[in-house]
Amino acid sequence: MESAAPLDEFLPAGLASLGIEADEVDLAVIAAVHRFFWPAILELLALDTSEVEPERCPDLSKAPQ
Amino acid sequence: MSSPLDLNLRDQAAAVAAGEVSPAELLDAALARIEARNPALNAVVETFPERSREMAAAAIEGPLRGVPVVIKDEWPLPWRAQRFGAAELMAPAVPGESGPYRALRDAGATIVGVGNMHELGAGSTGAVSYYGPCRNPWDVERCPGGSSSGPAASVAARLVAGAVGADGVGSVRFPAAYCGLTGLKPTFGRSAMEGHHMAPVTTTIVSGPLCADAGDCRLLGSVLCGEELAAGDAAGLRIGVVSDAVSEDVTPAVRDACEAAVEALRAETGGEILEVPLPDLGAAALAAILTINGESLSGTTPQQLNRLHPEISPVARGTLKYRMLLPAAATVQASRVRTMMRRRLAALFEQVDVLAWPTVPAPAPPLEAPVVELPSGTLPADQANVRGAGLANLAGTPAISVPAGLTAERLPVALQLQAAWGRDELLLDAAEALERANGRRWVESWPPLAEAGAAL
Repeated sequence: MESAAPLDEFLPAGLASLGIEADEVDLAVIAAVHRFFWPAILELLALDTSEVEPERCPDLSKAPQ
Repeated sequence: MSSPLDLNLRDQAAAVAAGEVSPAELLDAALARIEARNPALNAVVETFPERSREMAAAAIEGPLRGVPVVIKDEWPLPWRAQRFGAAELMAPAVPGESGPYRALRDAGATIVGVGNMHELGAGSTGAVSYYGPCRNPWDVERCPGGSSSGPAASVAARLVAGAVGADGVGSVRFPAAYCGLTGLKPTFGRSAMEGHHMAPVTTTIVSGPLCADAGDCRLLGSVLCGEELAAGDAAGLRIGVVSDAVSEDVTPAVRDACEAAVEALRAETGGEILEVPLPDLGAAALAAILTINGESLSGTTPQQLNRLHPEISPVARGTLKYRMLLPAAATVQASRVRTMMRRRLAALFEQVDVLAWPTVPAPAPPLEAPVVELPSGTLPADQANVRGAGLANLAGTPAISVPAGLTAERLPVALQLQAAWGRDELLLDAAEALERANGRRWVESWPPLAEAGAAL
């Protein structure tokens, strides 16, 4: 959770940069969602997938080639 | 028999075929029962008796001729656009012949109503909806599960014997688990999806049946898939179990019931239980969420987000805006995790026929506070539920939730089974084997308001 705190400051600026309006309620919800998701996203990004060869246009109805 | 609606789906179809009850009589019974029971549940958000009567009158000699069915508010009908449980869909919505509508019509079914759903499909509880929360027939103060909340509650309350849901990240399996039903998430691309507002872009969402038992899911699933999901044999079933939070960070009641169910399934099929490695399930669940979020962004603009309907809930409003900030690197990583998990699953399904773990880690939480108490602590139900559900959507594999017991508070507990691509039939075979093993005890358990002999 510690890693989420500094990034909370990014949220209003990030939305503003995209021209997305956000009131206090929006920002409170967004901050809560961010605290929930961000640590997991960082964990995901830290996962070493360098050995994973991309699956080109995967057919999700079948096993990978 | 107090009502033909107390028959299961296939017996209702057989009764119509035998001339024991007419499509019009079944429809009238369903409409009367919806009127009587639905106010306590908010499972069905709209009926259209004249349209339903037209369908019943025109019903062809199909496998579901004259059988009333509820369809989730995720699919357009010729006379009604879907609302997706929301005040605003964020995508063009017009009435039309969706794939599930055509499949039901061409099977002779009667669509009797539209089922409630979690707002924008973005929740596992059914606690939030433009129409108001749907309620669990087992305890109306508890969540029915989502996002296919209304379809599940409709079947559990025996308003109908079958309902059509959709599953993007567990949205058929969660409500099946909370409501004590069988719910099938077919292999990606196998079931009807035409007309869904995300059909052109989704790689996770499928339509799927919610019914009392596997036999009914086989029937309704065959209709949705446009091909017979033929009954086979689960003999010698190799059941894979994993050491992971999906199996271990669960309530004692869930753990005990699911362990007993796995053992019963092994014994019934003469199979074996194998502990298998399947790391990174948490990453897979997040990857599934990032994938569906990214795909849902394809039609979203900042301008749209600045003029959201005032009745979109604060949580949905904030979440929709937050999605715009998710880093592209995470979406790319999600794609790599998808590939990694698909390859791992392909290798794993050489060793085992099915994977088994609890569908959800705890029984249905209260609507007022949808959190669950787990060994690891108190978690929002959404956060806890997705851990075991996202993999099948990410990989494209089929999965089924089957009733596995009732807690001391008489709340349903469920086991999830997953199989390799295209082996939907095996999941139904295994679910039927489990039903045999426990004497159909759990699939014939009903909440008090729906027990045979209950009013209407």
